[in-house]
Amino acid sequence: MLLVKKNIPHIFKILFILGFGYFFWLMLKITLEYIPLKTDASFLMIKQTEVVERPEYLYFFYTHVYTSIFVLLFGFLSILRKDFGLKNFHKTSGKIYIFLILILAATSGIYMGIFANGGIFSKISFVVLGGLWWFSTFKAYQSARRKNFTQHKQWMWRSFALTLSAVTLRMWKVIIVYLFHPSPMDVYQIIAWLGWIPNIILIEYLIAKKLI
Amino acid sequence: MKILKLTLISLFTITLTGCKKDSQTINNSKDSLTVKKDSLVIPEIYTEYYGIYMGDFAGKGMITPEDGEEYEGEIYKKISLKINRITKDSVYGQSIVEGNQRPFRGVFNGASKSFVLDEPGSDKTDGRFEIKLNNDSLTGHWTAFNKSAVKAPSKTLKLIKKEFVYNPNFMLSKDNDLIDWENPKDFVEKYTDEQTGKTETFTASKNRVASDAVFNLNASKQKLTEKDLKNLRKLDMEIIKNSVFARHGYSFKKSTYRNFFEQTDWYIPVSNNVDNDLSPMEKENVALLNRFIKYAEDKYDSFGR
Repeated sequence: MLLVKKNIPHIFKILFILGFGYFFWLMLKITLEYIPLKTDASFLMIKQTEVVERPEYLYFFYTHVYTSIFVLLFGFLSILRKDFGLKNFHKTSGKIYIFLILILAATSGIYMGIFANGGIFSKISFVVLGGLWWFSTFKAYQSARRKNFTQHKQWMWRSFALTLSAVTLRMWKVIIVYLFHPSPMDVYQIIAWLGWIPNIILIEYLIAKKLI
Repeated sequence: MKILKLTLISLFTITLTGCKKDSQTINNSKDSLTVKKDSLVIPEIYTEYYGIYMGDFAGKGMITPEDGEEYEGEIYKKISLKINRITKDSVYGQSIVEGNQRPFRGVFNGASKSFVLDEPGSDKTDGRFEIKLNNDSLTGHWTAFNKSAVKAPSKTLKLIKKEFVYNPNFMLSKDNDLIDWENPKDFVEKYTDEQTGKTETFTASKNRVASDAVFNLNASKQKLTEKDLKNLRKLDMEIIKNSVFARHGYSFKKSTYRNFFEQTDWYIPVSNNVDNDLSPMEKENVALLNRFIKYAEDKYDSFGR
């Protein structure tokens, strides 16, 4: 019994790694739907109004799609806090994660949030999510520069929890559609919020409990 | 002067080719039952009997239900017969059943007002019509040439003369049944017995039901936008799209759509290809709807947006 209790963090860690591996694979497959670059691929099939009326939309969209998959990968590699025998591995992958978000992924995300499906209800969610994503990542960077590593770790977990909303949002969608079969945009309005609010609540809880 | 001459000549050729193109498209676009003109000067008699006769096409045959054994029952279908031309010794026209359009040729007996019409025989569903005209109604029977190839080799016809007109205002109405009986989907449901507290799972088959959107969105009258369609389910969009084809008299191969439109009094199937009859706006709307239907198919319940 004691052995099980002692190993609980390990079990969680292994589950987290396996779960991430599986969902990263699914996300990679979604990303590959956009290669080669087409103006009406996948999600863009129902976004032609924006594609036609706003010449900049495609640039923001593809910036987001192509950087986000690397954000997920490097975020995951950084959050493990191991160097794997390579010098400065954690530091370098962390830097890639942070700069990809601050310069490309979060900014393009906020732009796309303004034109999100599902009306004002989901637009607010995605813009707020984008803002918090940028802010938490920035704070993580700042605290690392100031060598305040407790703060750094906490902000990094907040940032990564929001990064993982890409995965949790899509998980919720599958669950909600399976259970209730709502109209597509009704699902969308729900998952817009459900995708990241529970994530951030969980992280705040863990921080409050001094588990992070 | 030479330049002027050249321009005139080239202009003239352009006009000529232009004319040619026009006449060609007219010929192409009328690949349906609606119009058929011929330049041969054979005297046509009984032009008053020309037109579309639509109605029931029923016969005894083996029915295979999804579960259970085969049994013999009445198979009901809708048929349209189009009488295009009647001369002294020949009758020309077409039959159309569930998207299967077949030409026929035969004879008309003016005294008894009866037709004997033969389909070509090159298709396993071809056969002979023996029908009688009585004012606006056409009744009689049909026998398949190859009796073992079809489910119901002998059928009766009860048809009424109908005027086919395209009208963009035609839509499904609130009296129509909006359930798609053809594509049931199995859902796993849970049931908890209140007394024992035991939970059991069972599969229930559910049918898709269209929403009121099919009464409000008319793809023949308004330019549809992405915003109009975003919150619709696949079935709604399929109905909105196929309403366009139904208005043009398209004979659906899929029973789902036949069931919806055969409930209306305006739907008269006259052709198995109406693509060229669509207005530019209808074409644009159909393209948009196709994109959204594909998206709904690929993405609605999958891991993604």
